[in-house]
Amino acid sequence: MAKKSVTKALKDFWYGKPHTAEEGGRRIGELYEQPNGLFKHREWRGVKDTMYYFYMIWLYNYIFMVKDVMVMGGLVNFAKGVWRYRWVGQTYLPVLHWFDRGLEGMRGEAMKASAWHYRAMVSSTIRQFQRMFASDTRLHGGKQNDKYKHNIAHNETVWGGVFYPWDGEITGVPLEMIPYFVTCHVNSHTVLNYIDAVQSIGLPGDPCPMCQAESGIFVLDDVPDYAPAVVTCNEACDASVSTSTLQDWFFDKPLFSLPMPMLFDDPLVKKYVMREIEELWKFVEDQYGIPFSWEKLVKKLEQQNELQRFEWEKWDVAAHSDYYPVNGVAQALYRIYQTQYGDWEIWHVTDKKVRKILEKCVSKKINSFPQTRHRVIAWSCAPLYYSNWCTWAYNCWGLNVIINMDSLMFDMTIRTDSYENALEDMAQYHMWAPMRRMAVGGMHHMFELWDYMKRFNCDMVAMYDQLQCKGVQGLHGLFEDEFRKRNINAFWIPHALPDSRTVSRAEIRRLINDYMTTVMHEEPLDPSLLDFDDSMTW
Amino acid sequence: MKKCKCTCGCKVKKLIFKVLGIALVANAALFAVFFFDLDGKLLFNVVEPFLKKHYDDMDRKDTLKTPYSMDKFPKYDYNS
Repeated sequence: MAKKSVTKALKDFWYGKPHTAEEGGRRIGELYEQPNGLFKHREWRGVKDTMYYFYMIWLYNYIFMVKDVMVMGGLVNFAKGVWRYRWVGQTYLPVLHWFDRGLEGMRGEAMKASAWHYRAMVSSTIRQFQRMFASDTRLHGGKQNDKYKHNIAHNETVWGGVFYPWDGEITGVPLEMIPYFVTCHVNSHTVLNYIDAVQSIGLPGDPCPMCQAESGIFVLDDVPDYAPAVVTCNEACDASVSTSTLQDWFFDKPLFSLPMPMLFDDPLVKKYVMREIEELWKFVEDQYGIPFSWEKLVKKLEQQNELQRFEWEKWDVAAHSDYYPVNGVAQALYRIYQTQYGDWEIWHVTDKKVRKILEKCVSKKINSFPQTRHRVIAWSCAPLYYSNWCTWAYNCWGLNVIINMDSLMFDMTIRTDSYENALEDMAQYHMWAPMRRMAVGGMHHMFELWDYMKRFNCDMVAMYDQLQCKGVQGLHGLFEDEFRKRNINAFWIPHALPDSRTVSRAEIRRLINDYMTTVMHEEPLDPSLLDFDDSMTW
Repeated sequence: MKKCKCTCGCKVKKLIFKVLGIALVANAALFAVFFFDLDGKLLFNVVEPFLKKHYDDMDRKDTLKTPYSMDKFPKYDYNS
C-alpha cells in the first residue's frame, strides 16, 4: 500500500496530478486563497511543464516586459505614467496573474501556444501605453514633442489598418483599447472607477457599461494627451455615439467621426463607407500634411493578409482534428486584439512560434485537450471580467471552447490588386467591426452561428447575453426558439461586459454548473472548481 | 604566513563555482517567489492598496468645466 502511494506521489511529481477526480485528480480549486484569487502556491504541473512555466512564461515575461518598457519609451516615462494614470498602475502590474488565470490547468503544447498569444498581447499593450506616455503633454510639462505630432488618437473599434498609408510616419494609438478594454481582462476592479465616475455626473446606469467606462475615463481626467487629432466611431451602437460626443467635448481637438453604418450588406451603404474612409484619409492629410501612400497601404495589407491566412490554417486544424493547441481565451483575445489593432511585427513573430507548435501537434497527433467532452462554440460578446471562463469550463467540465465569435468577425483577406478593390474590402472590414457584424448585425449575421457550428464540428453553444446591450436583447427569444427547433445544447452566460458587479463570476459558474448537472446529467471532472469565492480576484 | 599556492586555473575554478553558486541561489529564490505566488501577494497586499490610495487622493481637473467649443476648429469640408 505504502509502496503504491510512494509510486503515485513520484508519478504525480514527475508528470503532475491527473485531471479527473476518478484518477485522484489535481483539485485546482484548493490552490486558491479565497476570495482574492491568489494562490496558496502555483500549480505543480509536473517537472517539465512547471519548469517551462517558470522559465519560459513567468520569468521570461517579467524580463521581456522590462525590456519592452525600456525599448519602447523608457523607464522614466513608464514610472511617470504609472504615477499619473490609474488604469496602468492598478491594472498592468499584476499581469502575470492574468496569465495564470487563462493558462490554469493547461499542459504541454496547449500551455506553450496559448502563452505565446498572451506574450504578444502584453508586448502590444506596452507598446501602446508607452507611446502614449512618451508623447503625453501632461507628463512633459505641456510640451508637444515630435512623437505627439506624429500620433493620431482613434476609437478602439476604428481598425488600425485605415492608417496604413502613413506607416512609419503617423502612429495610430487607440484611445480605449489599453485604458479600458484590456484592463477589464487583467484587473476587473479598475474599470469600476470609471463606470461610477460617469454615473456620478448624472448618466443613468442602464446604457452599455462599455460606453460608460469609456466616457468615465474622460470624466476622471485620466486620458493622456498624446495626439493632435482624433478619430471617433459610433461602434455600431447608440450609446457609443454619446461616448463620441463626450470625447469631443473633453478632448477639444480636431475630430473626424468615422461612421459604422447600422444598415449594411447593401452595395449603396458600402459605397458610402468607402467614401467615408477616403474622407478620413483626406482629414489625415490635412491635419498632418503628410501625403497618402498607396505603396505603404499595399505593403501593410499584404502583411495583414499573411496573418489572416495563418489564422485560416489554425481554424482548419481546430475544425477537423483534436490537435489544436490554443485554448479558448487565448484564441479569442489574441485574435480580436490582432484584427482590431492591425498589422504589427509581434503578431508575425508569435505566429511563427505558434506554427511550430501547431505543426508538431498535427504531425505527432498530440491532443492538447484530452478531457474534452463537448466541443463548444462561444457566440456574441464575452464578459470581459471573465474571459477566462472557458479555461475554468474545460478544467471543471471538459467544455472545450474551440472557436468564438470574436475570432470569426474578420473572416476575410483584403484585395490589393487595385485601389477600388482595396477600398471596397477595407469598407467591408470596417463594417464587420467588433459588436457589429455578429452582435448587433442583424439576424443573418447573428445566425451565422449555425454554419460555423457545423464548420468547426461543435456540439454545444455558449451563448453570451450582454444584459445592457439593447441591440442583442431583442434576439434572445429568437435564439431560444432556434436552439429548441434545431435540438442544440446551449447554455446562456449573462453579463454586463466590463462590470463584474451585475453578474458575478461565481454566478456565471453557477449557471453553467446547473446546466451541466440538470440538463446534461454530467459529473464534474474537477469538483473542487464547482463553487469557490473569487469576488475579490483581479 | 604561507603564501597561497593557487594556480591561475584554480582561481578560475573558484570563480566558476562562485558564479554557479550565486546563480543557483538566485534561481531557487526566484522559484520560491514564483511557486508560492509571492509576487501576486506583494502586488495584491502592498503595491495595489498603496497605488489605489494615491489615485484616490489625486487632485483632478473638473472636466465638466471644459467649454464645449463647437466653433474652435474650421468647418470640415467634404469633397463632394
